[in-house]
Formats: sequence, C-alpha cells, structure tokens
Amino acid sequence: MSEEIDIVIDSKTYHAKEGSLLIDLLIKEKIKVPYFCYHESLGPDGNCRMCMVEIEGQKRPQIACDTFIEPNMEVRSTGKTIEKVRTDILELELINHPVDCPTCDQAGECSLQEYYMDYGLHEAKVSISDKVKHKKHVDLGSNVILDQERCVLCARCTRFTDKITHTHELGIIGRGDDARVSTMPGRKLDNPYAMNVVDLCPVGALTSKDFRFVQRVWFLQTVNSICHGCAKGCNIFIDHNRVKYQDDVIYRFRPRRNDEVNGFFICDEGRLSYKALQENRQETALLQGKEIREEEAIQEAQTLIQKYKDNISVVIDANLYSEEIEAILRFAKKINASVHSPLDVYIEESFKDDMLRSAHRAANYKTIEALHIDTHEPKSSGLLINFNHPQNFNAAAHIDFLTHQRDVPSLVFPIADYTENSGTLTNEDGILQKCEKAISRNLPIPTVIEILLKVKV
Amino acid sequence: MSFVFSKENLLRIETLKKRYPSPKALCLPCLWMAQHQEGYISIDAIDTISEEIGIAPMEIYGVVTFYTMFHLEPQDKLNVQVCKTLSCKLCGSDEILKHLEGKDVKISHVECLGSCGTAPVMQIDDVYYEELNPEKVDEILKSLR
Repeated sequence: MSEEIDIVIDSKTYHAKEGSLLIDLLIKEKIKVPYFCYHESLGPDGNCRMCMVEIEGQKRPQIACDTFIEPNMEVRSTGKTIEKVRTDILELELINHPVDCPTCDQAGECSLQEYYMDYGLHEAKVSISDKVKHKKHVDLGSNVILDQERCVLCARCTRFTDKITHTHELGIIGRGDDARVSTMPGRKLDNPYAMNVVDLCPVGALTSKDFRFVQRVWFLQTVNSICHGCAKGCNIFIDHNRVKYQDDVIYRFRPRRNDEVNGFFICDEGRLSYKALQENRQETALLQGKEIREEEAIQEAQTLIQKYKDNISVVIDANLYSEEIEAILRFAKKINASVHSPLDVYIEESFKDDMLRSAHRAANYKTIEALHIDTHEPKSSGLLINFNHPQNFNAAAHIDFLTHQRDVPSLVFPIADYTENSGTLTNEDGILQKCEKAISRNLPIPTVIEILLKVKV
Repeated sequence: MSFVFSKENLLRIETLKKRYPSPKALCLPCLWMAQHQEGYISIDAIDTISEEIGIAPMEIYGVVTFYTMFHLEPQDKLNVQVCKTLSCKLCGSDEILKHLEGKDVKISHVECLGSCGTAPVMQIDDVYYEELNPEKVDEILKSLR
C-alpha cells in the first residue's frame, strides 16, 4: 500500500503514496482546498464537507479528507462545479453565523472569514433576526471562552479532548440548528493542554481568555522560538508588538509544529509562561540594592575578581543558551574559577506527564551535561558569580547576573532573557534547536556575553 | 454517586451485554432503564451508565440531549406528545392541540408516531391513545389523574 504512484491534480502530475489521504497531498503541495474539520493531528472526520474535489469517474464531488489516493486518479480542485459546491456548503455553514467579523477576535486568522471572501460574499437569505441565537460567552474553564453562535461544529475541540488528552470534557449537545459545543452541566474543561483547542478552532468560537480582545492579530509580529518551561523544548511562536509610545511586549505564545518534538501542541503552563517572563524584570545594575551605572558595576566586578583571585566559583543557570554557557566557561577559565551548575533544583516530578511535560524544568540542562560541568553545589568560596541560577549559595562576596529581580544584597548585573536574545538549546532528547530574538526593548538590557566582554581581567 | 440501577435492571444489562460485541452498544437501553426507574435522567445516572458501559459521560450527555424522548429534569406534568405529521394533521390533530391548550399538561409536537391508520394519535409516556376527539381526550386525562 505504501508504493509511490503518480496522480493528476488540475492537469499536473504529483507523486504520492498509494493509500494516503488526498487532503494531505493537497495541503503539502499548497493546492487551495478549504476545510474546517480535518486536522493532521486529529485525522479526518468528514463532517464539514468543505474539502470537496471532483474525481474523474465519480458521479459526485468527493471530500478530499476521506479519499484515499489510488493509481490513475485524476482530481480537479477548481472549476465551476466545485466552486458552486463549495459556495453552497459555505452558505449552509453561514446560515446561523452572525458574520460579524469586525467585532470578532478571530478576525485575521479565521478560516471561515477566508473562505467567506473566496466563496461567500453573497446576500444572506436568512435575516439576522431569524438566525438561531445561542450563548455568546460561555466560560468553559482553563481560560477558554466559547461563543456558540460562531461555531461551525467541526468537532475539532471535542476530538482533541477525546483523542489527544483522553479527558472527554467537550461534546456536541442538542441537534439540528440547536446543536452546540458544551461541557457537562457543572463541569469544566480541565486538563493541562486545554488551551490548544483555541488554536485548533478554525473560527472565532473558542478564544483564549488571556488573549481575546487584547490585540488585533494583524498587528502582531511572529518569531520562532522554544519554550523554556521544561527540557522538552516545545517549539513556539512568540507573537509580540510594540504599540505606539510603548515598549515591545509579548502578547501570546502559540505552538509551532515540530513532529520530532512537540507535534502540534504545547502545555498551558508553557503557553502562559510569557506573563511571568515580563514581570519584575531586573533592568539596571545594583550595588547593595542601590542603582548604579553599568560602568561602575563593571569596575566593582573587576575589583572583586582581583580581590578574591583563585577563590572564585561560578554557577550557571541551565536555561541559558549554549553560546552563553560557553562564553561563561571561557570567562571562568580566564579568572581561574571553578564552574558549577546544580541540576537537582530544576527537577519537579509532579510536573511530568506522558505527553509533553518533562520533570526537568531547565531548557538546556543537556548542554550542561554535555560540557561536563560539575552539577554539585559549589563549596563555600570567596567570591560567587551566579549567572541566573535559581538557588542562592553561601560565599563571602557575590556577583549576580539576573534576568528577574531577586532579593540579593550584592552586585547585580541585569541580563537579557531568552526572548531578547537569540541562541541554541539542546532538548532532553538531544535535539539542537534555535531560538530567534523576539523583543527589542526601548532600553535594551545587555546579554551575558556583552557584559562579559566588557569585564577586563 | 447516588444513582444505582435496580436489581432487575442490572440483570437486564448483564443479559443485554452478551448480545453485542461491545458494551458500548447499551447506551440507549441503559438510558431508557434509568429514565423508567427515576422518571428522568440525572447526571448521576449518566455517570453510572458511563462506568457500566465504558463511554465518556459527555458522550452520553450528548445522546440524551439529542433525543427529545429523554428528560434531564423530573417531569411534574403529564407529557402529552401529539403527532404533527400528515395523517394526524388531516384527521384533526389541530383540534386536539387546541383542546389541550390551557390544560395542566406539557404538550409536545412530535414527528410521525407510526399509527396513521388510527389518526389522530397522541402518546402519554409509553401508551398510545388513538382515534382521538376532544371528548375522548378529556376522558383520558381524567382517568390519568
């Protein structure tokens, strides 16, 4: 069944595996085909009927999501018949839909809106007052809000809770034009991956409480990055924007497909981790709690390093980029310091599950191990230089490089967090992944490497 | 869970289970048993059925809401189901409906009850009442009080 064969789509020949789904080929070859219910992670369901194509020898148009590729297949994805079929099916989908895109939060990333521009744009035969009214604001739980009127009943969300999380919270109740997505009475959507239904929803029915009506999606810039929540290294998009007269701000994380790492999804904790990332940032250098200029801080650091010569320990956070870790190692060698990165503090067994969440809550601990860095705590020393490691250690004197504010009465350097810097990480399966720089602050915070280059020793 | 199937119902479920390759096939029979036992289908009953046959409660809840014959709340009034399809309509179901208006019963219009030869027809619980006229309806309601 897995033989490569040729099939013809719109008079062009393509290679495909015999017995594979036609819609997968259409999506792969970027041949325009509208669809709501099909999703590569959930498989075909065949309920939306939008992906109709004509197949030579078949009497009626067929749905591409439930058609298997056969030898000598001839497919037409365009033409008068197919346009008419799609228009008619879309008209059915839109019978009770309010078509109020300007006030909908999904506008700009809505399949229904796109297809409406392609196959809709006709006068509605049902007047607004005759449309079936449903609830506009149902709090399903786990930060997910449901607008039942905008739903096209593609069942992607219910299939997600059935097939992916196996928690079965969502289902379709009622029938005919009364059918709608719902939870059981008195029960909520409650699982650590729940917010993925917001990404799965092709229309504005499911939106995130956290993001809805905060930003228009066409104002957002998207950057590829990696979640730092645990060692799994789920691929994400960072959506950020600099609103006029304000600073560059992250508005949401979205999962980015990577079949080798996270598939299509991320956990809710990772998705919402952007909030804590932007709070309580360390923005200026400090000496005993007082703000000082960077040059003064560097001067102070040089004096300390000189004073405690040959009695210095360096501690590295296992979330830093590999490039940063290597720069710190080079620096430590120069000042003849012992290097440590205690990893026990990152382990949180209760966080682990059998989907994506890993007990190692450090994004780059594999690199620490690969570089043979001592993972024991440093023995008490003269000077301790801490590169954002979450633990506090005893020493006569401290220098702290911090992304976020911490109550330490020492010399503190502010450093850029992972969204303000680019670099590479190795996830727990040994896959090397790259993060791009997303945020450019109005007042930039230097990276570890930039500061270390300025310290003369 | 406060809902427990009666002994007879449990016995029936066991007998039915042998008939089908999967216990999931017993969704509708179990719902009927629960409704007959309590008069309605409680969320507790759905949870009990879910454990009995291995279907998620949400899926069973979807089935309950799909069919108009299942009730999720206790019914305090007689549920009079009047057939609204062609034969009954031609033989005077409108008159029956009009006559029922204002009476202390729940009226529901249902699709063909499959008894066109004896139209007009109404169904109260599981019993058919056929060849109706207003006087007969009064008699029936009186006898049921």
